[in-house]
Amino acid sequence: MALSLATGRTLWRSRRTRRLITQAAFSLAVALLLLYTAVRAARLDLGLGFLEERAGFAVGHQWLTSYTADQSRIDAYFVGVVNTVRLVIVGLVLATLLGVLAGVARLSKNWLVSRLALVYVEIFRNTPLLIQIVFWYTAVLLRLPSRERGIHLLDVAFLSNRSLAIPWVFPDGRVLPWLALLVPSALAAWFVHRRRRRAEEETGRPGHANALALATLLLLAVAAFLVTGMPLDVETPQRLGGEGVSVLTIVGGMQVTPEFAALLIALVVYTGAFIAEIVRGSIQALPRGQAEAAMAVGLSAYQRMTLVILPQALRIMLPPVTNQYLNLTKNSSLAVAIGFPDLVFVGQTLQNNAGHAVPIFLTIMATYLVMSGLIAALMNALNRRVQLAGR
Amino acid sequence: MATRVVVQRPFAMRARRWARTNLFDGAWSALLTVVTVGVLGFIVFATARFVLIDAQWEVVLANRRLIFLGRMTAEDEWRVWPPIWLFAALAGYSLGAWSRVGPRGAAASAAAVLLLFALLAQGSNGVRLAFGVALAVAAYALAHAVLAGGRREAAGRRAVIAGWALLVPLTLAILLGFDGVPTARLGGFLLNVLLAAVGIAAALPIGVMLALGRASTLPAVRVAATAYIEVIRGAPLIAWLFIAWFVLPDFLPPVFNLNRMDLVLRAMLMLSIFTGAYIAEIVRGGLQSVPRGQVEAAQALGLGGFETTLRIVLPQALAAVIPALVSQLISLWKDTTLVSIIGLTDGLGGAEAAVAQREFFGRHSEVLLFAAAVFWVVAATMSRLSARLERRLGVGER
Repeated sequence: MALSLATGRTLWRSRRTRRLITQAAFSLAVALLLLYTAVRAARLDLGLGFLEERAGFAVGHQWLTSYTADQSRIDAYFVGVVNTVRLVIVGLVLATLLGVLAGVARLSKNWLVSRLALVYVEIFRNTPLLIQIVFWYTAVLLRLPSRERGIHLLDVAFLSNRSLAIPWVFPDGRVLPWLALLVPSALAAWFVHRRRRRAEEETGRPGHANALALATLLLLAVAAFLVTGMPLDVETPQRLGGEGVSVLTIVGGMQVTPEFAALLIALVVYTGAFIAEIVRGSIQALPRGQAEAAMAVGLSAYQRMTLVILPQALRIMLPPVTNQYLNLTKNSSLAVAIGFPDLVFVGQTLQNNAGHAVPIFLTIMATYLVMSGLIAALMNALNRRVQLAGR
Repeated sequence: MATRVVVQRPFAMRARRWARTNLFDGAWSALLTVVTVGVLGFIVFATARFVLIDAQWEVVLANRRLIFLGRMTAEDEWRVWPPIWLFAALAGYSLGAWSRVGPRGAAASAAAVLLLFALLAQGSNGVRLAFGVALAVAAYALAHAVLAGGRREAAGRRAVIAGWALLVPLTLAILLGFDGVPTARLGGFLLNVLLAAVGIAAALPIGVMLALGRASTLPAVRVAATAYIEVIRGAPLIAWLFIAWFVLPDFLPPVFNLNRMDLVLRAMLMLSIFTGAYIAEIVRGGLQSVPRGQVEAAQALGLGGFETTLRIVLPQALAAVIPALVSQLISLWKDTTLVSIIGLTDGLGGAEAAVAQREFFGRHSEVLLFAAAVFWVVAATMSRLSARLERRLGVGER
């Protein structure tokens, strides 16, 4: 070492020096590129002050927000964020359900069922999502009858090309005490579960811990619901005006716009097809002995699936499913194609109205990074739990 | 050796037995079958009624130029054919040399060719198309002859690989060179094909370099590569395309008219940058799958770091991830439709422009189904071939 430092030639040849020089040269190149970008950016107005100004445009499809055109641009952007989050959360839940269902159906022993699942996966996975969204929107939902001739389903739901209205529960003022009472109910259920589980371990007789705990929870929740005076109201959509009235309005219930519905359906069906393939692959990756052993122990088909196969397949499928969740989140931005005001659409509108493209797109990217980070963190936490449980 | 007597039961009996095990295996299965038949019957009936009776396919026929070629002028149309012929010949030879076309594949190809003729063959286009089909068949036969002859196999393989490598540059040269089509006029499915082909060709080297950078032991390189990959993957493609639309011109240097680059080229550039980040993650997986012993053996033989990477690690890493690369290509192929949102007339944009005409107003279902079918056929074919490749790679010498 000392010898190599003594002569300049070996110093130049030494691995450490070469690494340092390579890194310095590389860093210099990156720094120059960044500097160039900064110089170009300096000519643009990069401040965020314009976000405080009056927006001046309305945003349809609001949920939990009451934004008007007089509010600031940042408020408008927030409406977009809420819309994206709502779409993503509902989409993730439904896509998971559909994906698991279709993935299990792909492996069904019933030939027709497995073929149907295969056709579903093949068609929707290999077609562009954008075409699917536009198709659901223009070719299906906008073709529904107008509001005047809308389809009334069993007097509870109302379908038309302006809105899909379904019954929905709305909390009233007494909901807080009820929610507060749910906490001790859950505690009681947990207590029952623990006792029964312990009894089962001690005596060896089935304790029915899950069923009894669930029954306790339901019973207490219903009792609390009655005591607090039924704080949830079920509202079914109603038409206002009838025959001879030119303008018909639907009030009450949950009214879903065709834009939201088209996006949701397309995202769920598309992502569900990918999740189905992951579920199928994960189940097939399990050793056959697992299913055979479960059969030998005498478990029913349903028990085999829920107690033996799916919990183990879960370990394999979580990382790729997380990827699909992130894809769904990013794909929700295709809302711009049909004018649903998600955060990209609102950002794009802001950019059209006010300019300031660079800060707006940086904001959009930051928002997606936060959302992706949250989903990835949640799924990784779940992944760690599942992986540990098996070892 | 004992003679085995195979008793073939009558068809009705076999059918009944098959149905018993596959459709009516218990009450639950029977219920499922009945429900599925109902759902399936409804879907098939509704689809058939739409496709055969209700749909008016004139909108597709009348606008096929717009949907396939966008707003390219008729004088430039000939430029499309030489690349198609080259592609047909290469595809035919590759299929013959590396794979076999079974009866189902042959039937599907025949159906596709018939449909293409019904759609495109008028006048000289029919002849040009027929020439392409003939080339593909001849190349397929040639590959078989070469394989059977046992000689010149390596030469043929080298020629075909060179052909594939040159396909994209040659196509671009024929289309755009010699006072060819202005890039702004590229459109239709041709644009989707070009975006996907150029995108994957440009993204591959970007992705390999990023993956090597991320796996590098030099912290500065690793941090930069990781930042690039994560930032690009963090935001949706449509946000990047909007950036290409509105922001990129402000940041391109004013040399070679780069700052006046038109939107088609900017979209191509952005798709390559975007796909590069995803390919980097795929290649990283491949790099991790190469056993450490390979690197150590190379070092023991006296290969330098650069040579070890180029000759030992990368070939094995890339071979291991070919199926994943094909899925990335499929995903890119589908994602090229997003350029219709930034106002380009790709296949989907052309389809939407077709229904904007007054006489075809409201015929969304027809054009969208047609566009979806074209994208599906290409994507499904690629995924079939990739699955076949995967099986071959799996069975290899390992």
